[in-house]
Amino acid sequence: MTGHGSSDGLHVADVSVVYAGLPALDSVSLGIAPGEAVAFVGPSGAGKTTLLRVLNATVRPTSGCVTYRGEHLGELSANDLRAVRGRIGFVHQSLGLVPNLRVIQNVMAGRLGRQGLLQSLRAFVRPKPAEIEHAYEILERVGIPEKLYERTDRLSGGQQQRVAIARALYQDPEMLLADEPVSSVDPARARDTVKLLTEISSEQGLTLCMSLHNLDLARDYFPRLVGLRNGKIAFDAPVGEVDPDEFQRLYDLEQGEMLADGA
Amino acid sequence: MVRDAGALRRPPPIGPRGLVFAGIAAAGVWSFVLLDVPAERLLPGSGLLPELRDLRVLGDFLSRAVSPALDYESSFVPDSAPPLLMKVLDGAHRTVAYAAMAMTLSLLLAFPLGFVASSAWWRGDPARVTTATRFVPPLLFGGVRALIAFMRSIHELLWAIVFLAAMGYSTFAAILAIVIPYAGTLAKVFSEILDEAPRDTALALQATGASRTQVFVFGLLPRALPDMAAYAFYRFECAIRSAAILGFFGLETLGKFISSSFDEGYYGEVWTYIYALFALVLVMEWWSGALRRKVTA
Repeated sequence: MTGHGSSDGLHVADVSVVYAGLPALDSVSLGIAPGEAVAFVGPSGAGKTTLLRVLNATVRPTSGCVTYRGEHLGELSANDLRAVRGRIGFVHQSLGLVPNLRVIQNVMAGRLGRQGLLQSLRAFVRPKPAEIEHAYEILERVGIPEKLYERTDRLSGGQQQRVAIARALYQDPEMLLADEPVSSVDPARARDTVKLLTEISSEQGLTLCMSLHNLDLARDYFPRLVGLRNGKIAFDAPVGEVDPDEFQRLYDLEQGEMLADGA
Repeated sequence: MVRDAGALRRPPPIGPRGLVFAGIAAAGVWSFVLLDVPAERLLPGSGLLPELRDLRVLGDFLSRAVSPALDYESSFVPDSAPPLLMKVLDGAHRTVAYAAMAMTLSLLLAFPLGFVASSAWWRGDPARVTTATRFVPPLLFGGVRALIAFMRSIHELLWAIVFLAAMGYSTFAAILAIVIPYAGTLAKVFSEILDEAPRDTALALQATGASRTQVFVFGLLPRALPDMAAYAFYRFECAIRSAAILGFFGLETLGKFISSSFDEGYYGEVWTYIYALFALVLVMEWWSGALRRKVTA
């Protein structure tokens, strides 16, 4: 089933997360193999973001356990936890860039998890030629190399998103997590963003997990879909076996429940 | 569907906010009662306003506002004295220098104090909670906040009097009198700016495995710095005024010159010094405005 205890990939076993008495995730179990590409689909509030945060160990499950390459995330020391997070790139919905810094400084912040404080201050003030070159190559891959020394808030929304992706790649990660990467760009760019992330992941052999509203994008780019509703997994299947009705039901059921709540 | 009766209930005409406003208004009225100032005593000739003789002094002083002195008003000026305008420049320069010294020391204290006094500094990693993270931070946090409240609860003039009584006049004592309340105020405002700064970068950097200190330095501080710089500039302007005021206690600034000229009745000279102070504040205003436009552009 979930392959719990296996030393390969990421395993979530019976994980629940409760925020202020309300369950955000409810007994979720799933396994993700190295190099796999998975889309988490479902309405907002279904638990997609919480699941992603559990996967990169920034949210501690209320119960259940998460193992990454055989390590129990809940039992790690502070330093080991940092090391695991450092190997997982996360593209946040709000991007989380510093607007008043240069693009290169935002990109190089991706390496903080592997640096001590003094080392990271040195890299911030005086980046080495090799570091600058590496940042440039990554910006080239995401399509905005000419923005290396630009102030980040002078970039368009789509370009800033690419800076956030570049920062995640500068981590030199084994896995990429992306939280609704289409919400901060216009619909025309959304497809480009999903395409870019899936292409880079398969080129570099990265595991990719992305939360998505849009079923079309999920179907076009991901071989495996996990449907979430009210913190539970509604389906977990190869893309060919998920029929659109099943996806639609994620939203229908939610409406039914909202009416039930109001009565 | 059943309607929720509670949702339809009207809010009371005077809510908690209305009561607070009413309380503040009542306190204003009460302060008048306490001071015993009936309205008729504010009229001329009632004893509360100055006598005619005093008014003449005031008139003499104010009339010199349009004709500030360009040279000494005293009939006896020692040969060694510099021209008045040189003295003004020297006073202005010393005022700025002392203000800058006070601000530098204040900032050196205010940065660490402000960091520790912000909740953001102590914001732990939600994925790691231990006994130590639960009890030690609130103690240090509360202690530092109490310390900076004490530092700024006493005005710089009061500190100056205390230090003068304790160690006699020295430049260092005067500077220290400015530094203590200024560091306290800067630390408090810095901590508030840090706590109000957007947290999305901090969360993103935490997810890259950055340590708590790194998250603070690279995720929170850069987002708070423009506002912190703007406030520090405003405080520098205040420090110029404070340095001038401490001239009345002997600090070699424009305030000292104002004090001695005023005592001699050389109101023209007083105005010259006041205008110099005004010019200093204007320059500060222009400088901080230019910097702010550059940062936010």
